Amino acid sequence: MKDINEGEFEAEVLNYKGTVLVDFNADWCGPCRMFRPILQAFAKQHTDVKVVGVNIDDNDELAEKYNISTIPCLVVFKDGEEVARKEGVLPEKKILKMVEG
Amino acid sequence: MKYDVIVVGAGIAGMTAAIYVKRAGKSVLVLESVIHGGQIINTIGIENWPGDYGVSGADLAGKIYEQLGKLGIEVEYSEVETIEKTSEGFTVKTDDDEYSCGAVILAVGTEPRRLSEKQAADAGKRAVSYCATCDGALYKGKPVVVVGSGNTAKHEMKYLENIASKVYHIHHDEPIPKDAEAVFVAIGRTPNTKFVKDLVDLNSEGYIVAEEDCITSCSGVFVAGDCRTKQVRQLVTAAGDGSVAAEAAIDYLAKK
Repeated sequence: MKDINEGEFEAEVLNYKGTVLVDFNADWCGPCRMFRPILQAFAKQHTDVKVVGVNIDDNDELAEKYNISTIPCLVVFKDGEEVARKEGVLPEKKILKMVEG
Repeated sequence: MKYDVIVVGAGIAGMTAAIYVKRAGKSVLVLESVIHGGQIINTIGIENWPGDYGVSGADLAGKIYEQLGKLGIEVEYSEVETIEKTSEGFTVKTDDDEYSCGAVILAVGTEPRRLSEKQAADAGKRAVSYCATCDGALYKGKPVVVVGSGNTAKHEMKYLENIASKVYHIHHDEPIPKDAEAVFVAIGRTPNTKFVKDLVDLNSEGYIVAEEDCITSCSGVFVAGDCRTKQVRQLVTAAGDGSVAAEAAIDYLAKK
């Protein structure tokens, strides 16, 4: 799982053929810190899914553009299109359900 | 799978209950719908938990979870849908599995009370948050509104005043200001007990009725933490309930 910034978003998410999970987070957000190891474990188990993090303090325009109103917020992109989003910490099983749609 | 005790909820009460059950030599499973820690995971610095001044809720939750791991306690992240009493004990059904056990400890906590339908409609597409310390930073330099009259509302306002351009304050039945970009709601909390309303007695607000002994109206079902009828809802009283409910459950199993 890697962290990306506004400049990389287009190449890493929007132009990517396949499924990308974008985790909008912040350093000061406790639940986000708890969510991270869950996402990392998910990324390890599901190598066909790309998992990236976006820090909303460093990338506030991106957070605004995607209407992020609470964090953590997990957004699923398929071939560059948003297909699902959920707020709050999610167990691995629920992440899988989101990806499978 | 069969367990001596199933604990529903991995907040402070539930995790403490599991520690006591396991240390008494009984098998225990903890079922949690979201993440271990419960309500505290959003708290930045905790100053009333003895021995760890200023610890963040997320870190405290992580530490207790680690302790569970060291004791060999299983935690499963599934939402409990129903609990049924059987001739041998209880059947606990989750969204994707089924378990049986001899006794149940309910430590399901509370959740923020939602906006009224009228106010939700009034909020429209604007963001609605139940935690200023979690989401406040997203509204830097923007007008926001806090709904509620209690201490939590005051606390949320104080926090937001350093971030937002303007902080409106309204009560639970007042219209939401037009220019507020986010609505922060602090109108109390409500217990997550709907799924057990046919199993145990609830009071008019939905809290599970039990005295300090944590014994509910249903034999073999115990309750711990904020979802119980009680005066003081704090981390330490939740932990206290956890131990009391665990001892009561162990005692119940021994006498069965």
